[in-house]
Amino acid sequence: MSEITITIDGKEVKTQEGELILNAARANDIFIPAICYLTRCSPTLACRICLVEADGKQVYACNAKSKDGMQITTSTETIEAEKRAIMEVYDVNHPLQCGVCDQSGECELQNYTLEIGVDSQSYAIKDVDRSIQNWGLLNYDPSLCIMCERCTTVCKDMIGDGALSTRARGSDAIDASFKESMPKDAYSMWNKLNKSLIQPNDGEKLDCTDCGECSAVCPVGAIVSADFQYTSNAWELTKVPATCSHCSAGCQIQYEVKHGSIDAPEDKIYRVQNEWNYVSLCGAGRYGYNFENKVDAKDEAAFAKAVEAFEKADTIRFDSQITNEEALILQKLKETKGYKLINEEARKFANFMKEYAAVSGNAIYKTPLKAVNDANFVISVGSAIKTDNPNARFAINNAMIMNKGAAMYFHPVADPVVDTMGKNIMSINHAPMLEEASMYLILDLFAKKDALPSEVAEYIASFHSTKTITVTETIKEKVVEIVKEMKVNEETGEEEEIEVEKSKMVPKKVEKEVEVDDNRLLEIVNAPKKFEESMEKLLKKKDTFAMIVGPDFYSHPNAKNLARLVALVEKYTDFSVTMIPEKGNSLGVAMICDLDELAGSYSVGYNVAADFVLSAAGKGDLDMPAMNQQEGTLTSIQLRVNPTNAALPYAGYELNDIANALGLEAALTVDYTEQLGAIDGFRAEKFDDLPNHFSNSGEEVRGYELEATTATTGDESVAPFDEAAAMSDAMVYLANPTLQFNDFTNMSHQLSEEVGLYVSSDYAKANELSEGDKVSVTSTKGSLELNVKIDSKIGGNIPFVPSFDSNLNSEALFNDYRFSSATIKKV
Amino acid sequence: METAYFIETIIKIVVILLVFSALAGFGTYFERKILAFMQRRLGPMNVGPFGVLQIAADGIKLFTKEDIVPTNAVGPIFKIAPVITAATAFMAAAAIPFLPQFTIFGYTVHPIVADVNIGILYILGVMAVGFYGPLLGSLASSNKFALLSAARAAAVFISYEVITGLALLGPLMMVGSFSLIDFNNYQAGGMGDWIIWSQPVAFVLFWIAAFAETGRTPFHLVANDHEIIDGFGTEYSGMRWGLFFIGEYANMFFISFVIVLLFLGGFGDGSVFGALMFLLKMSFFFFFFLWTRAAWPDIRPDQLMWLCWKVLMPLAVLNVVVTGFVMMF
Amino acid sequence: MMSLEQFENRNVSENGYYKVDIESYPETGWEKAKQVFSRTIRGELFVGLWVVMREMLKFDIHTVQYPKEKLPVGPRYRAVHEMQRLWESGTERCIGCGLCEKICISDCIRMDTRIDENSRKEVSEYTINLGRCIFCGYCAEVCPELAIVHGGRYENTSEQRAHFTDYEDMLTPFDMAVKGQVPEYPGFGAVTPHEDERVKSTPLAY
Repeated sequence: MSEITITIDGKEVKTQEGELILNAARANDIFIPAICYLTRCSPTLACRICLVEADGKQVYACNAKSKDGMQITTSTETIEAEKRAIMEVYDVNHPLQCGVCDQSGECELQNYTLEIGVDSQSYAIKDVDRSIQNWGLLNYDPSLCIMCERCTTVCKDMIGDGALSTRARGSDAIDASFKESMPKDAYSMWNKLNKSLIQPNDGEKLDCTDCGECSAVCPVGAIVSADFQYTSNAWELTKVPATCSHCSAGCQIQYEVKHGSIDAPEDKIYRVQNEWNYVSLCGAGRYGYNFENKVDAKDEAAFAKAVEAFEKADTIRFDSQITNEEALILQKLKETKGYKLINEEARKFANFMKEYAAVSGNAIYKTPLKAVNDANFVISVGSAIKTDNPNARFAINNAMIMNKGAAMYFHPVADPVVDTMGKNIMSINHAPMLEEASMYLILDLFAKKDALPSEVAEYIASFHSTKTITVTETIKEKVVEIVKEMKVNEETGEEEEIEVEKSKMVPKKVEKEVEVDDNRLLEIVNAPKKFEESMEKLLKKKDTFAMIVGPDFYSHPNAKNLARLVALVEKYTDFSVTMIPEKGNSLGVAMICDLDELAGSYSVGYNVAADFVLSAAGKGDLDMPAMNQQEGTLTSIQLRVNPTNAALPYAGYELNDIANALGLEAALTVDYTEQLGAIDGFRAEKFDDLPNHFSNSGEEVRGYELEATTATTGDESVAPFDEAAAMSDAMVYLANPTLQFNDFTNMSHQLSEEVGLYVSSDYAKANELSEGDKVSVTSTKGSLELNVKIDSKIGGNIPFVPSFDSNLNSEALFNDYRFSSATIKKV
Repeated sequence: METAYFIETIIKIVVILLVFSALAGFGTYFERKILAFMQRRLGPMNVGPFGVLQIAADGIKLFTKEDIVPTNAVGPIFKIAPVITAATAFMAAAAIPFLPQFTIFGYTVHPIVADVNIGILYILGVMAVGFYGPLLGSLASSNKFALLSAARAAAVFISYEVITGLALLGPLMMVGSFSLIDFNNYQAGGMGDWIIWSQPVAFVLFWIAAFAETGRTPFHLVANDHEIIDGFGTEYSGMRWGLFFIGEYANMFFISFVIVLLFLGGFGDGSVFGALMFLLKMSFFFFFFLWTRAAWPDIRPDQLMWLCWKVLMPLAVLNVVVTGFVMMF
Repeated sequence: MMSLEQFENRNVSENGYYKVDIESYPETGWEKAKQVFSRTIRGELFVGLWVVMREMLKFDIHTVQYPKEKLPVGPRYRAVHEMQRLWESGTERCIGCGLCEKICISDCIRMDTRIDENSRKEVSEYTINLGRCIFCGYCAEVCPELAIVHGGRYENTSEQRAHFTDYEDMLTPFDMAVKGQVPEYPGFGAVTPHEDERVKSTPLAY
């Protein structure tokens, strides 16, 4: 990739070699209309409206790559005629119901119809019955659909569900006379459009992870949220730029706010929207928005009690669903009042990073998640990726499709969602506790052996042996045969029989004994058969490598060893390493707070159970603002500090008020944003100076990036793993179903669900369980009674115990590790 | 005799008070109706048949409205001013013969309270005192519009008293008496004897002056709504304001009587016909006050002064001189 | 460049003005005297008297005795709003597009919408705060469905302004619409005559 100069409409534009003309133009504020193109996905060529003339040839800007010195004209007479005809075709039989359509006001069909100036219609075709379908959380109105196929494209190229496809429309053929009279591209575009419509893969209901991205990218009102539909016009909503707090991805979102209704005029959030060209949301981010804590007034009595509790307490328990500023307040309280700060999950993450730092020299992991989007070989370890961080899954899928990449997914629980992401992803479902083995395997496969510390290299070598196997090879053999042929003798003119020698190649199976390298690690991690062959295929033409490390590692009993192994992988292979912080702001908390291991006698809890509880979910002794009611910053997996804003008012007390009562001084919580600068990696920026948007070229202009920090390195020793520790009996896994992360997602009215034991359908069949059965789950640590929920998005035979509902003390079943042996009995 | 005279006088006073108070009310009704008709409107229609009871409604309203004396007003003077206007108007009525004398149950009634031999002088004097009403009321109101009104009132009254007096000199010289009965008897011989024929200039001057004395359009500048709100009445409310109103309308009636008695033969020979004609003639002049209000614009104070001192006064003096000469030869 | 004089007269048109014929003012005393004299003789005062007397005698009264008599209201008059229904079917014309809410310059319209059982947009509540409404007519003008119109009901005295904004009251009664007793609305916002001739027709494939 090198910088080149192209000329668009007389304007010299600098861009990268091979960049799409459309993106080069957009980055330089040159307008080329485009309907079907999505920035991070492959071009569909459905709308054909991005026609430009490049060096005298008509090309599609979303498809053509720039070359040095290219001369591009965006408007010629023929192009304008094509555009006009294309927009007229789009308007054929499009219902005139802009008055009620949800998209009206931000509809690309409206915009382009006006932009191109369509004021009359020349084309017509008989319409077919296109009735409205309900797809669960979404409604699809095919009569509004313009078949840009953005929904199918984003679902396949970005999300990885591939849950939408096209179906036949069943309409008449286009009147033959149009073929002559219409511009060429418009005709072929109409031809295609006239044949198809969108449908879920199985025809009726959507079977996917409910991210709703298809509704976000839909340029018209064809796919809309069923909950939002017809409740508000787009232009009435106030857009509040914010950052999604549910997981560590820190996606940029907009809360869209309007007064509730005539009877209840308070503001409420109507929906969440994203900058879909540059960021994709999961269902929790899109639908989990109304978790605000409704507080009418300051409860002075409760506040006095809270201050009293703080005076009395020696421990503060909290989780990582808080802002950096709140974390800093807690840390400052620790410094002034000597509280013990208890947050196990963040402490483990911090410890993991500390151990990683001792080998790698980086205080925190170095590579943001977006490196995965750019890689073409990705490995995920230790993470139920689709629920731990949906954006990480999107990134892997995007890398596989856009970069012709491949991926490996190491996890004990088979994941049907991951498996459907394509044949270029290899799932390896090793037994729990064998994560170290998987790391050794990765070192074995990818590390430069001679550079590796000798003990490690030797340890890996100890798994190798040679063995003799019999392979069946197909070889081609030359066979010569003599055939009799009749031929006319040229001299005599008579037909005579002659013998001709003919040779041909015939395949033949040969059994052969060969000596091969036998890698016992493959067997230990339960690698699929023909691993080497598949690996060879996967690795063909791969040059950019990325690894994602998940939360299973942080709470692993051998977390320290794993951390060191991760650091070794980063050091001695081409892989960059990205870690998934387990909760919304685990990374920020781990960096800001100095966390303690042992609690004191009397504790105050912030969003977690304790002797006195502050709760943003409205469940405690004093109410706190929820994430959509407060300003602050969140640290994301992208190593970015992102600002978030209050979408809804909050009338009660917040943590800052308590801190002020305890002797700290700050008018607002966001006054602490600047003070974050004292912490390694953070910058001393004022909250109000932090931007939160994407530029036209797709550059993420949000908050600031964490600065790289270094740590002193020690030795690189790693411990061998214990093969016998592998868990093989019945067990449960601490993980959430799709769309759920925490109490707040579950409070949102579209996502709210009864908590249960999530099992795969295979598991349910094998254990004769059906939906709704009550089972008792008993581990060495405790037991719980749960209702069985069959989840088609889970595979394998390890049921999930969710942690999203704090009423269910799911931690009771587990030691530190996310897997726990447990017996499940029907009651 | 003394007692009978006393009782008769009391009765006459009461009758005059009642009749003219009522007439003042009806005067407003007539004014509103006639102005409406002249402007193609209907006027009051809703209270009673043809709106007749509008007077009662207005009366009730005036009587029951809150009586407000402004904080900075000079209380006693503010309160007495409307009384002066109304009282002087009725006092003037004492020397006016409203009808010829008639006999009832053998008792001869003189429909005049006091046939004093300086009747006309008395009437003019008392009417002039009436000017203290607006003047004092204005000055006591502590209101800038009222103050302007006071200045205008002083200028107008002083000026036009001169015209009234000078205009009357001619007829007085001819009749040789101040008594209005004498004036009437002087003209009792029929239409040909009316003073209007011998003193047309005096008649016109007196008539014009009557507009100024009563403060009617076109000389309504003491209380011109569009310039100084209600002038002296601005701060008044309720029945106090009502008294000004009654005074104004009573004055209109009395001045009409006086004009008829002075110039148009009064009740003539004292017959019933004469009495009716007397009331008719009086009604015309009253009507004329309303008529001009519908037809004419108001004039400016400076124009009023100009008219008084530069036109009317010289004419009046000339009229006296000419009358003198004519009587001499 | 525009001269100062041109600038000052920039909005004054050259034609289309009448010059009022004003006599020149008298200057000398004699001229003034003449003017007074001529004005006195001309008897304009009596013309005035005559005119009003003539009108009184003609007795051509123009008063409308309002509560008993009422003048017909022009169709374009903008009184309290009405919500219309479609003829015969009786369906509410309002589709809940929210344009009236948006265009309202005194911000007095508010509506709640939702999706109904037939997947159509439905207006569940609609209010107009008449205390703030300035009867500008924008809502009626912007309404694409002729659903909100200004009716002729100008007598809006009530103990509660809210009495006029009850959606049920504003709505044309259902029976009347079904029976076709409500004439096609002619007033503010209605389609102008000969509208068809001005619209370009769209080809149809049926």
